[in-house]
Amino acid sequence: ARGAWPRVAMEASELWVGFVGAGRMAGGLVRGLLQAGKVPASNILASAPSDKNLDAWQKLGCRTTHCNLEVVHRSTLVFLATKPHILPGVLEEIRPAVGSHHIVVSLVAGVTIQTLQRLLPPWTKVLRIMPNLPCVVQAGAMVFSRGSNAGDEEAALLKSLLSSCGLCEEVPESYIDIHTGLSGSGVAYVYLFAEALAEGAVKMGMPGALASRIAAQTLLGAAKMLLETGEHPAKLRGDVCTPGGTTIYALHQLEKGALRATVMDAVEAATNRACDMAKD
Amino acid sequence: AGVLAAHKITASSPDTDLPTVSGLRKMGVNFTVSNKDTVKSSDVLFLAVKPPIIPFILEEVGPDIEARHIVVSCAAGVTISSIEKKLSTFCPTPKVIRCMTNTPVIVREGATVYATGTHADVEDGKLLEQLMASVGFCTEVEEDLIDAVTGLSGSGPAYAFTALDALADGGVKMGLPRRLAVRLGAQALLGAAKMLLESEQHPGQLKDNVCSPGGATIHALHFLESGGFRSLLINAVEASCIRTRELQHLADQEKISPAAIKKTLLDKVKLESPSLSVASASKVSLFTHKSKKN
Repeated sequence: ARGAWPRVAMEASELWVGFVGAGRMAGGLVRGLLQAGKVPASNILASAPSDKNLDAWQKLGCRTTHCNLEVVHRSTLVFLATKPHILPGVLEEIRPAVGSHHIVVSLVAGVTIQTLQRLLPPWTKVLRIMPNLPCVVQAGAMVFSRGSNAGDEEAALLKSLLSSCGLCEEVPESYIDIHTGLSGSGVAYVYLFAEALAEGAVKMGMPGALASRIAAQTLLGAAKMLLETGEHPAKLRGDVCTPGGTTIYALHQLEKGALRATVMDAVEAATNRACDMAKD
Repeated sequence: AGVLAAHKITASSPDTDLPTVSGLRKMGVNFTVSNKDTVKSSDVLFLAVKPPIIPFILEEVGPDIEARHIVVSCAAGVTISSIEKKLSTFCPTPKVIRCMTNTPVIVREGATVYATGTHADVEDGKLLEQLMASVGFCTEVEEDLIDAVTGLSGSGPAYAFTALDALADGGVKMGLPRRLAVRLGAQALLGAAKMLLESEQHPGQLKDNVCSPGGATIHALHFLESGGFRSLLINAVEASCIRTRELQHLADQEKISPAAIKKTLLDKVKLESPSLSVASASKVSLFTHKSKKN
């Protein structure tokens, strides 16, 4: 029986992975897992109320169901990926089937480890993760925290599985809301910036489609240089600014517009909102 | 700085009652009201008059300039070529160096740049560099950068004084006595500048090193960013540089005739120092310099 998996069977290929909820974020994670070849698709089971999302999962080779309990019965590693207001009901439903061998990882925004542990059996190994959208293309940024019963093994497993989707770091739970403000929502700030860059180019006479592609590549290239050189962004910025050249003129405009402060405001606002929502 | 013995320095000024004059005298500098004497007894001539006065001074001392003289102009916006042009009527190959310094030379922490003219040799530049390095940082630059230097380190101390005044206000608002607030603010800027000069790190990195997560400093910095602090500083340097160029442009066009300057200065001197005779007033010029005898 599936419930008798030995605790040491942590090899990813032997792992049975379940997803309760099959929305966009869950889809991103599973694509990452599959791309990295960590877990065979046939070892993955996802549940959702309707077939709408499940079609895509089937196309990937995963198994699907409409029954949340089935996911818990047939998986060791269970990802909770429902909408926040649905989660309490789902936890009540699956609670009887959760055992000490399970590893429960919640992707649900704003639901604290304390809440999760309260709604699940006391022996449950709980972890909470906050991914971001580019997990879908294996360039995500994820942070996770562990609950009282989750140990080094569980943390290491999660990290090794999800590193296939991008950056994955363990953090104190208090950083999760900050991560939301920085990177969860942060992706949208970048989209906004890319759009504005392209519009500037269009204003100066470049066709929109080309401008958009170049804008995206510029952001990608700059980010890649940041990550690969490990240099301070201020230094990299200085490297681009030839005296009296185009870049410093442009940067002056950005400073005049207090871009830095505005971005700080944005991160702060999103973080605070995440905190507030978690309290609800 | 001990680079030069005081008795080797001669300074001239028409107004002997200036506090700077008595200060120089106390240091043992030779003082005269005669610019001619000054020129004759020196090898290196610093022209430390206001920019509009320069053409007037050059006409006055031009005949006494010899090939050995190194004429160093510290006047903002006055180009090497304008000085060379004026002097060439008197001396075929005048050695001219243009420099831009700043007030903290007084405490030997000046920032000086210089550009050498057509006939100034490498050794001439090095001599000046040696002199000015004794009172701070000194380096050679292309002349076309001097306006930017004016905007940055020429005017820079004024930006710093303004910042310090405001920082002290902040300290006072939060309960510090004024004197202590000024002292601490100045020390903070001094220390930060020293750290930056002695570090390989980018100022952005040094800033990060001070900002602990969620701490006091990052909260404060957010306010600075919201106020456009950085852009204000960029604006300031730009404005000072552009204004310097404007003044230079005006001077190049010689909109102010030397005769007009002479007259207004004469009038001013007559007003301020009624004891000066008209005869000596004709040598009126705020011409001070240091010199080195071989």
